[in-house]
Amino acid sequence: MDTKDQIKDVLVKLLKVKPEELKDDAKLCDSIGVDSTEMVEALIALEKAFNTKLSSNEIGKLSTINEIEKIIQSKISK
Amino acid sequence: MEKVAVTGLGIVAPSGIGRRQFWANIKSGRSFIKKITRFDASKYPSHIAGQIDDLEKYSHVSQRLLKKIDAFSHMALIASELALQDAGIDIKKEDPNMVGIFLGNAIGGWLYAETELRDLYIEGREGVSPYMASAWFPAAPQGQVSIYYGIKGFSKTVVADRASSLEAIGYARKTLSKGKLNMILAGGMEAPVTPYALLCCNTYGGLSSDNAHPESAYRPFDKNRRGFVIGEGAGIVVMEPRERALGRSANILAYISGYGTSCDGQNRIDPDPQGQQLARAIKMALTDAGVTAEKIDYISLDGLALDIWDNSEIEAIKNVFGKRVKDIPVSCPKSMFGNLLGASGAADLIITILAMENDLVAPTINLDTPACPGLNYIMKEAKEHKINKALIISRGRGGINSVLVLEKALQ
Repeated sequence: MDTKDQIKDVLVKLLKVKPEELKDDAKLCDSIGVDSTEMVEALIALEKAFNTKLSSNEIGKLSTINEIEKIIQSKISK
Repeated sequence: MEKVAVTGLGIVAPSGIGRRQFWANIKSGRSFIKKITRFDASKYPSHIAGQIDDLEKYSHVSQRLLKKIDAFSHMALIASELALQDAGIDIKKEDPNMVGIFLGNAIGGWLYAETELRDLYIEGREGVSPYMASAWFPAAPQGQVSIYYGIKGFSKTVVADRASSLEAIGYARKTLSKGKLNMILAGGMEAPVTPYALLCCNTYGGLSSDNAHPESAYRPFDKNRRGFVIGEGAGIVVMEPRERALGRSANILAYISGYGTSCDGQNRIDPDPQGQQLARAIKMALTDAGVTAEKIDYISLDGLALDIWDNSEIEAIKNVFGKRVKDIPVSCPKSMFGNLLGASGAADLIITILAMENDLVAPTINLDTPACPGLNYIMKEAKEHKINKALIISRGRGGINSVLVLEKALQ
């Protein structure tokens, strides 16, 4: 599974949304109506999944899947 | 004060979810008190309760939302949906600023809180769900129902121990009478069948520990009573000003015409043994309704099945109704499914509405020999009887007294 699929997998399992609802280029608040509390939980889950530290300044409800992928890629490739 | 119409009801209880299933079980006098199976409660002095095991089967709530809320909010959402359906109200067509929510509960959402607190001590800060902050507190169901339906009017959560939901309904009536809102979802919900909540109920000392006989353990007003049994559930009704209900040709189930409330101000736990303040609350409710004691033809009892509570309740009733007590049918149907604590008054209101509809008084089960004779106790089996004006009594620890007068809507 590549990074993008892994991110989607985390979000689908965590937020109980359908995989097809997640659009690569759409803000999470637009595609799945994510709220700020869900983002806190998503951040913790992504940190665990990729064994890295993420901050709410880097990833928020205005982020897209593509943007999240880019940030996580940059962290885990270091 | 103007009469307020009840136009829909939603019930989630161990005896059934939805009015049809619930009433079928209530009128048959069937007990739903069982040994607790949700967790190992065998070491608790009292480990029996009225549990709801198939909540999700009746639920319209998404998995995404369910993981963010406690069971008591889940029950409130189901009861609200059932009440709105029963009232034939499409909430999308209502002015959201003119719809309110008035709910009561005594203890908050402990199933969620306990799990997260355990995770806090085992896994640390990051082990705790971010939803914890909005899931456990007593006003959480009010918030969840308001979000679910986009309700934006004046709303309240009342915490007054077991009297919470009847207090909420009384407050809702007052608010509607003043013309502040078009409609209110009012009632209560409680989910005390959790390890910590059950422990607190046990240490309070009022629970029956007749674990070997769950179905006959809750015996309000019986000579051999040994305390109450807890239950979980929610009862929510749709309340509207009379004119509006008539204007939209709603099926008016009943009118709430009077409300009285008082405090004993004597003891941290126990009520006044003479029930003087309860008697005053009953008189207040009757005065508010503009009816005399002679007109009341059914009384729904609080019935905690503890000597001081039951006896003081009877004292208060005798004080107000005098010699007529032997004629007025009285019962405590919660003996069948447990005391829903903060939601108990709302459940009693719903049972009384259904009793009015069906001309049938629901019984007190396990009442074999009344400890305080002289009242017209409806025991063991339901009894045919036309109810036009009923009194509902709900009480809380430390002496909170709530009384409602309910009137049949004459078609």
